[in-house]
Amino acid sequence: MHIPDGYLAPAVSLALAVPTIPVWAVATQKVKKVLNNRTVPLLAIFSALSFTVMMFNVPVPGGTTAHAVGGTLIAVVLGPWAAAIAVSVALILQALFFGDGGVLAIFANCLNMAIILPFVGYGTYRLVAAGSPILSTRRAVAAGIGAYVGITVAALAVGIELGIEPVLFSQNGHALYSPYGLREAIPAMLLAHAFGASIVEGLVTGLGVAYLQRRHPEYLTSLRRIFAPEAAADGVVARRPLWQLVAASVGAAAAALAVVGLVEGGGDPGRMFGSDWARVDWAAVATMLLVTAVVGLILIPVVYLVLPARMKRIGTAFAAVAVVAPLGLVAPGFAYGEGSTAEVQSAFGYVPSGMRDVSGVFSAPLAGYNLPLPFFNEANAPLWHAALGYELAGIVGMLVVGGAVFAIATLLRRGFSNDAGTGGAADRRSEGTVA
Amino acid sequence: MTAAARNIGGRRAHDGRIGWLEQTVGGITANIEHAIFTERHARSAGWLQRRDPRLKVVSGLVAILAASLATSVVGLGVLYVGTLAVAAASRVPFGFFVKRVWLGIPFFAGIVVVPAIFFVPGPRLFDIGIGAVHLAPSINGLFGAILFVSRVAVSVSVAVLLVVTTPWADVLKSLRALRVPQVFVLVLAMTYRYLFLFLHTANGILLARKSRVVGRSTGGEQRRWITGTMGNLMSRAFKMSGDVYSAMLARGFGGEVRTYSTYRAGWLDWAMLASTLIVAVVAVAVGNFAS
Repeated sequence: MHIPDGYLAPAVSLALAVPTIPVWAVATQKVKKVLNNRTVPLLAIFSALSFTVMMFNVPVPGGTTAHAVGGTLIAVVLGPWAAAIAVSVALILQALFFGDGGVLAIFANCLNMAIILPFVGYGTYRLVAAGSPILSTRRAVAAGIGAYVGITVAALAVGIELGIEPVLFSQNGHALYSPYGLREAIPAMLLAHAFGASIVEGLVTGLGVAYLQRRHPEYLTSLRRIFAPEAAADGVVARRPLWQLVAASVGAAAAALAVVGLVEGGGDPGRMFGSDWARVDWAAVATMLLVTAVVGLILIPVVYLVLPARMKRIGTAFAAVAVVAPLGLVAPGFAYGEGSTAEVQSAFGYVPSGMRDVSGVFSAPLAGYNLPLPFFNEANAPLWHAALGYELAGIVGMLVVGGAVFAIATLLRRGFSNDAGTGGAADRRSEGTVA
Repeated sequence: MTAAARNIGGRRAHDGRIGWLEQTVGGITANIEHAIFTERHARSAGWLQRRDPRLKVVSGLVAILAASLATSVVGLGVLYVGTLAVAAASRVPFGFFVKRVWLGIPFFAGIVVVPAIFFVPGPRLFDIGIGAVHLAPSINGLFGAILFVSRVAVSVSVAVLLVVTTPWADVLKSLRALRVPQVFVLVLAMTYRYLFLFLHTANGILLARKSRVVGRSTGGEQRRWITGTMGNLMSRAFKMSGDVYSAMLARGFGGEVRTYSTYRAGWLDWAMLASTLIVAVVAVAVGNFAS
């Protein structure tokens, strides 16, 4: 996530100082006011700690390793203002002395990793912890979630900073700086972090807070009061009910989707995600939603009652997914990007020859994820017919796949129970353990 | 999250590959070695080492800014030749200087831009069809990629040259001369001081574990251990900061920091800044007039 020199245009690098420098100034004042002269050694030593933590390789499930930043962990202990200074100092040291991250890019790197990361992480932590007792498991989980969200948002910021370069600075058709636009840079940064580095950051922070709760609880209480007296949260009861959390996350997800959709659609609200929403027949959609809701209300409880206890939860979840699936039909153009050759033709203007050759070879029995009956897939059938077909096709598909997996698993179990080597099996189990 | 972040799995250490512990120990040791190497060169008697650090830092910033502003490969070439000449005059080992930059940069920056070469629209350099796949680099894309990689390489070269010819203490005092607040400089200085203590401690903890563990541990165990180590380091950090503060108080620290500076900028130092400015202007201008 360290941006080197040369990736950002100097105008962008220096413009990012505008939000960064005031935050540093306020942070210095805040920390100084509380700690007086004690600030200097404490911040210096925590910066050194932050640097050391960034050096640690953490084993990740799946056999690889990754680094953590530790910004949220420091924010949980010292408060976000002190964390901003500690991580900034570590980053400046890395850039000036160890050549990790650019010199002109210092403002960008500090904004992403030392300001956005700890503040978003700490805010999320406070939101999820919701005043629960300081030594509760909820606090540790909240810290983990906060760290995950914080670093993912920081990665989004890096994606935006890199992505605007070719938009702003190009010459004779070639990009002068980082060559990828927003549509490439944002998904690349977001996906790489959301499924990799962010998980590590979340794990390290959550486990780190759990360790402090067990061994050094005083750092989570008395010290927080020294650094941020107004935020000292001993907490006794969870004051914020779960529904507020759910509502907040749904709201945040909707906002994120809206931003991504606007970027995809080139900033035109009528063309969110690059689709022409004016082509949608909203009356038909309303009928379809009504039918879907009725189906869901009947089907999901039935599934829950019918399934054996062992499969109740997972089976109901799958049934719910199948019921919700046809919502994708609303989107005009591609449904789920699994377009047929005709759709590819209309989108790109041509069909790759390989795709045309292959697509005729096998015509699936449930082509287009619909049942092969005129009621469901007639050209001018109402939308809710297609939706019903979608749901039925989904359920049939799940039953078929589930049955196949069950059959294979049964066969395999029979095969394995014949040989006595249980050591191998135990070993395999320990390999799969994920803390 | 540095570029060398992910490679080899810890659990596979038993089949002869490098595990996460060794990886961390290696990374920490490399950092300490780098620091020792740098400080040794920063104190040797080269041309750049004798210049006034304040003007040297300013010149370095000017050169990096010029590399960012230059829009032609020729301009960047001018800057790089200048950097090489100064490096040679300052007795920076040539192999180290060139290798460090050119082995690392094409690897990290180059991999990033390779796909862009093929996706940029415009005339193609050549077009090799392998079945349905066409290997056709765009001329514009290629130009952009070369410019991008050379820009990153020149920026890194200047930064490396600045760092290996200036002791850290001087870099900090120059920051003070550039009006960076005193608190920040003081925190940076102390961080650098305690950084090595922490790296040393962390290395000790890791080696102690390495030498006592026989057999394999699960991923969950490893993660619990590594976060426990981080928590342990944090607790040491608290204790140490208390001790350091007491020591500072005992020596009369009252919140004010006084440093003495005996720098004197001679005509050679000003000449360095002037020539950097001239090269920078040339490097930026070449691109703007050539196109």
